[in-house]
Amino acid sequence: MDFDLTDEQRQVRDEVRRFAENEIKPDATEYDTEEKYPREIVEQAAEIGLTGANIPVEYGGVGYDTLTNAIIAEELFAADPGIGLCIQSTAFGADALVGFGTEEQKEAFLEPVATGDAIMGAAISEPDVGSDVSSVSTRAEKDGDEWVINGNKMWITNGSIGDYFVVLCKTDPEAEGRYNGFSQIVVEADRDGFEADKITGKLGIRASDTAELILDDVRVPEENLVGTRGAGFLQLMQFFDETRTGVAAQAVGIAKGAAERALDYAEDREQFSKPISEFQAIQHKLSEMHTQVEAARMLTYKSAWSVDNEDDQLTMLASMAKEFASRVAVEVADEAVQIHGGAGYVNDFDVERFYRDAKITQIYEGTSEIQKNIIARELLGKGMT
Amino acid sequence: MKVLVTVKEVTAVDDEFEIDGLGIDDRYVTADLNEWDEYAVEEAVQLSESLDDVEVVTVTIGPSDAEETIRQALAKGADRAIRVWDDALDDDAMLDPATKARLLAAVAEQEDPDLILTGVQSADDSLGATGVTLADQLGTEWAAVVNALDLDAQAGVAHVHRELEGGVEELTDVELPAVLTIQTGINDPRYASLRGIRQAQSKELAEKTLADIGLDATALDSPIEQTALYEPESEGGATLYEGTPEETAGELAGLLAERGVGQ
Repeated sequence: MDFDLTDEQRQVRDEVRRFAENEIKPDATEYDTEEKYPREIVEQAAEIGLTGANIPVEYGGVGYDTLTNAIIAEELFAADPGIGLCIQSTAFGADALVGFGTEEQKEAFLEPVATGDAIMGAAISEPDVGSDVSSVSTRAEKDGDEWVINGNKMWITNGSIGDYFVVLCKTDPEAEGRYNGFSQIVVEADRDGFEADKITGKLGIRASDTAELILDDVRVPEENLVGTRGAGFLQLMQFFDETRTGVAAQAVGIAKGAAERALDYAEDREQFSKPISEFQAIQHKLSEMHTQVEAARMLTYKSAWSVDNEDDQLTMLASMAKEFASRVAVEVADEAVQIHGGAGYVNDFDVERFYRDAKITQIYEGTSEIQKNIIARELLGKGMT
Repeated sequence: MKVLVTVKEVTAVDDEFEIDGLGIDDRYVTADLNEWDEYAVEEAVQLSESLDDVEVVTVTIGPSDAEETIRQALAKGADRAIRVWDDALDDDAMLDPATKARLLAAVAEQEDPDLILTGVQSADDSLGATGVTLADQLGTEWAAVVNALDLDAQAGVAHVHRELEGGVEELTDVELPAVLTIQTGINDPRYASLRGIRQAQSKELAEKTLADIGLDATALDSPIEQTALYEPESEGGATLYEGTPEETAGELAGLLAERGVGQ
């Protein structure tokens, strides 16, 4: 057993940290308050390969494994969760294309994302469909050599700025079994009938673009179908373990960012003629926060390592990592604000933003409750029902 | 064409620190690529991107711990690296500029570069003399504190701007082979790309002893020895002017005139 990162992983971590410190941190508050998409920063990130970190080398990416991508996520989110998400989400939905796409689809859709020329997204949730993914009602019907798509997609990351989306649709409503009859179809944003409504007023990750997609008789060519018709739900499920591990890494980053800022502040802030870090009440908080971060990181690393090496144990680990790390993010951000006192309640300090940003990690990519259901299901040896 | 870039791993010290013998206690230091060398590496890599057949080689004097820093330069586009180290060299001992230049000159004689770029100075020792001493030992031309470089490879001439004191710039031509000491701000150093970091792992990083570069321990003989390290006593003497810019500027101008700075 070896707990050391490789030289290459350390180098990636240090360079991403340098990038994040210099290019992300200074403007993070501005993008948060204005709910503005940080296009220039995403372009800069693309130049050094951050938008294609998990896209295979043959399609212009770097092809890093899940663990190295987790390290990247941690560093980006420790600088700013909102902008970090903008950078990492440019390839949302790419895993379906990598796993099931045709050669033509990979070339057309993966390469532009890796080079920073395009932004993509995954469209799963609907106004009435959250955790219960199998009740997706967006309909795609075949008409000649085209798919005609109708429905609304909700909470779609990159919705109003993305170039194309992998959309989960119902193609075969008469199929037997609740997981059958769905398909993943690429829908370009410039198709007639495609409309995106930006959602504003989010609690956190406000730099990240979120929108509702309205698909009204949108026609796409039949070759936009990804993988097998009717197997979309099962294709999607294949990557949940990986994407949940990714959210766990985001949460570790948020927790780390909050814990580091709390430590700095505690050493700086003086009360009763000494730094508040001299008080045991604060010391114990700092100890617990940093211990939690390390524990969450180890669970996340093990899950990430399992994606690449040992996927028999993966499903339970990924849910454990996601549930635990997101809880740690919320708790550590809470304590970080507490240590900052009044100063942490306004956005002069980053911890105010981290407190708001942390919450999403308990919600997206499967809520904490769904993660616990999965852990229990695995423990009790029950299959999907 | 070959460009040799000298790269040093420097020590950055925390705001609060403790002195341990002749150095700073390890707990308060971190290692990093010297800032000036970062600009020198970038300048060399830009040359290799704009001209055909340019090889960029870095040379470092340092123990194996310095390899992570050297890989940074490789990740940013240097083609290969040389690291000089020997049992006769002590981790903590200070090397004076003449000694360093002797070692670097021995490497330069083996590599025979057309152009050598060094940083103006290192961020830790800040002696600022290694580059020009190296040129002196090699008997080549040099230009110090270069903040703009336009290389005419065909003619073998570097048109440079040198930063002089008082905001004055000297425009001069230097014939190759030459040593240029590079000033910060000459370019905008890139981040290493993920792809660059990946490629850097398999680039050549050659380790050379003194014997490998044709020297022996006598090359380290130096008339300069570090005898102590201490923190200078600081005195509080800051004057803080408060008020509108118009008021404070006037007060500041008055002080400067009184002390003979402004005329």
